[in-house]
Amino acid sequence: MNQFEVVPCNQILNSFVLLLEGNTDLPMVHTIEIHLSECPNCTAELAHEKKMHSLIQDVLRRSCCETAPDELHDSIFQQIHTQTAGAFTTEVLTEFTMTEISIEIDEFGTIEHREITIEHTEEIRYQTNYPNERDS
Amino acid sequence: MTSTDLVKESSADRAIRFERDALVFTNQLYAAALRYTKNPHDAKDLVQDTYMKAFSSFHQFEPGTNLKAWLYRVLTTTFINTYRKDQRRPQISGAEIEDWQLASAASHSSNLGKSAEVEALENLPDSDIKRALNEIPEEFRIAVYLADVEGFSYKEIAEIVGVPAGTVMSRLHRGRKQLRERLTEYAKDLGYSVKTSKSSGAEEIQESNREETP
Repeated sequence: MNQFEVVPCNQILNSFVLLLEGNTDLPMVHTIEIHLSECPNCTAELAHEKKMHSLIQDVLRRSCCETAPDELHDSIFQQIHTQTAGAFTTEVLTEFTMTEISIEIDEFGTIEHREITIEHTEEIRYQTNYPNERDS
Repeated sequence: MTSTDLVKESSADRAIRFERDALVFTNQLYAAALRYTKNPHDAKDLVQDTYMKAFSSFHQFEPGTNLKAWLYRVLTTTFINTYRKDQRRPQISGAEIEDWQLASAASHSSNLGKSAEVEALENLPDSDIKRALNEIPEEFRIAVYLADVEGFSYKEIAEIVGVPAGTVMSRLHRGRKQLRERLTEYAKDLGYSVKTSKSSGAEEIQESNREETP
């Protein structure tokens, strides 16, 4: 006897969550499908489960759709604004760059090549202007 | 936008990007927070905290990935770490096993029971739906809400809640079962299952009440 045939109905009924979640890559799903092909009761039950599942989703979505109060929208916006207004932007400016190249040839004919780069940079920190008038 | 661009992004630009992309979820997050905390005052605080945390770590969010899931993760983590800590509330069993296939035995229900169940549910008022959701254990409520209201996959929920996928499956299975039991109970209180049965025979009415034998 095939091992799939001995799976009891109650175990199949309790595994519908796998089918509802589209988790079809588990070996258990194969077992369920084989059982369903041979059991009209469980097939009818699955159809009902699917219907109830989508019905419950519908009633949940219908009833859980509160909108946030205006004051919450405002205070979130304000707080982001405050955090950003206090922030500094750091910019590194390179004021000038100078490269000194020297080539030396000694008495043995060895060539020595040197390059020295001098760079003057300045770090500028300024307060970010938060754009108040944005296109909406 | 590449990661190099993000490094160069000024905080003002980041704020604009955050406002544009993240703030559109305020209503949705608030509705979720109401289910999490069960009261409007805490829900407001939770959403506010969530947005502040999300904003300060927004540079870590990888553009192009699921922003909604990322925000729900911040919301859920904030709720678990902050709000739940306050209440010394017993959790569901610490050794939560992945027992969705071993849960209490279900049985085939009658066709009359099925049609009555459908009709009863359709007629339940919103307040009863929310009450039923409030009454199931928090871990179940969060999983069911994320799956059935927000439409996240069980794998996404595992990421959001920070538990293994098998645990999410278990919570979904048990949470939906408990939710449905409560909804059916409320419907019975309102008299739907008796009212909706087409036959006058007492035997069939009784049968409609026998949806799940223990």
